[in-house]
Amino acid sequence: MDPLALTSDALREPWRLWTGHLAHFSWEHCLANLVALATPLLLAGRHDRRRVAFALLVGAPLLSLLLLPSLGGADYRGASGLACGLWALVGLRLAGRGESAPVGLLMLGGLGLKLGLEAAFGSSFLLHPEGWRTLPAAHLWGSLLGLVFALPPWPRHRTT
Amino acid sequence: MPRLPRLVPLAAALTLLAALGCNRPETHTRRSSLMDYLYPKQKAAPNPNPAGARLKLPLKLGIAFVPGASNTWRVQSLLAPGQEKPLLDVVKQSFKDKPWVSEIKLVPSTYLRPGGGFENMDQVARMYGMDVMALVSVDQIQYTDPRWYSFTYLSIVGAYVLPGDANDTRTLIDAAAYDVASHTFLLRAPGQSQVKGSSTWAHREVQLREHAQKGLQLAMTDLAKNLDAEVASFKAEVAGGDRKDVDVVDRQGVSLRQSGGRNFGGSFGWLEALGSVLLLGAALRLRRA
Repeated sequence: MDPLALTSDALREPWRLWTGHLAHFSWEHCLANLVALATPLLLAGRHDRRRVAFALLVGAPLLSLLLLPSLGGADYRGASGLACGLWALVGLRLAGRGESAPVGLLMLGGLGLKLGLEAAFGSSFLLHPEGWRTLPAAHLWGSLLGLVFALPPWPRHRTT
Repeated sequence: MPRLPRLVPLAAALTLLAALGCNRPETHTRRSSLMDYLYPKQKAAPNPNPAGARLKLPLKLGIAFVPGASNTWRVQSLLAPGQEKPLLDVVKQSFKDKPWVSEIKLVPSTYLRPGGGFENMDQVARMYGMDVMALVSVDQIQYTDPRWYSFTYLSIVGAYVLPGDANDTRTLIDAAAYDVASHTFLLRAPGQSQVKGSSTWAHREVQLREHAQKGLQLAMTDLAKNLDAEVASFKAEVAGGDRKDVDVVDRQGVSLRQSGGRNFGGSFGWLEALGSVLLLGAALRLRRA
């Protein structure tokens, strides 16, 4: 068993709650998720960077805990759940600002389209990987967590 | 009268020979056979169940020691009262956190009749409400070999002081798991141990009993380890379609045979990744403008 993948052993081996999002099944899998993760990280406004970092740190184990009941005896690997969370978070934050609202709305729209298609066509309408299947619940829970992290007010950095 | 002195050395030699003969190698065997328990009257191998097994996770698992073919030996005779449970607990502990097991019950072996067959297994399984029964059979052989200086036992003192017996206890445990509903054989795993020691003639039986217990405990620990590996191999066989007689259905109702036992991944497709790159490019251009 992979020592980093998210499994039901995560309750005894808590590092898996974080590392499950770093482990991947292949380089292609990793690269596609990395691109998806990098996009909101690069688009996040200066004021939202701390919030994004906090969401990554705290959101990862929360998402893992939410996914555990769906896993049964299987492994979970992949950063796309976190990526969806960041798309939701950054998209919502950008949508609330006048000049960057179109980008934020586009991000939220794209994310909504992905979730909608996955809900309509099942887990693998675009991807047919060998040896594993997509877990749409990861994207859904990740997006919801992203929205939750986007909403509360964040203490402003004081400038003297 | 003159014949008597000649007979004395002869009688002494015979006595010595007889005494030494008492200390020859000895073997004790204890055995309980799964086949004798499940198929007591059948000479030919039983036909496999055509329906096969459909296991719905999580499973309720029962573990029990199989009784011997007759009432002459049961595993409890090796153990002090109440020690059977801790022995089976070794297996229970190693499986209690497994997500595919909801409950593990330890069945006292007194509930299993010698030669009881599937009928007896069904009764016990129904009583405990179990889906799968793991039947543990034991094969234990104890060898006692005299060391070269064991002749000192003749001095009586030597029998209480010098450890002239080399004792060797070999234990082989075999656990076979059966689906209760269909009587389908699922998997088996072995566990083995070897315990060696020396004892005086007077302490021999005590040490053999201690080694019998220790050998069982060590073999059960080995069994728990092997069982874990066998379960993984069983899962792979079912997922790969090699076990046509068995299917496993997970908590979401997904058949392991159909899903191929594949793991889950969070993923973006290449088209989605391309879309996000385009969005990123457009956003950065917008920001510069």
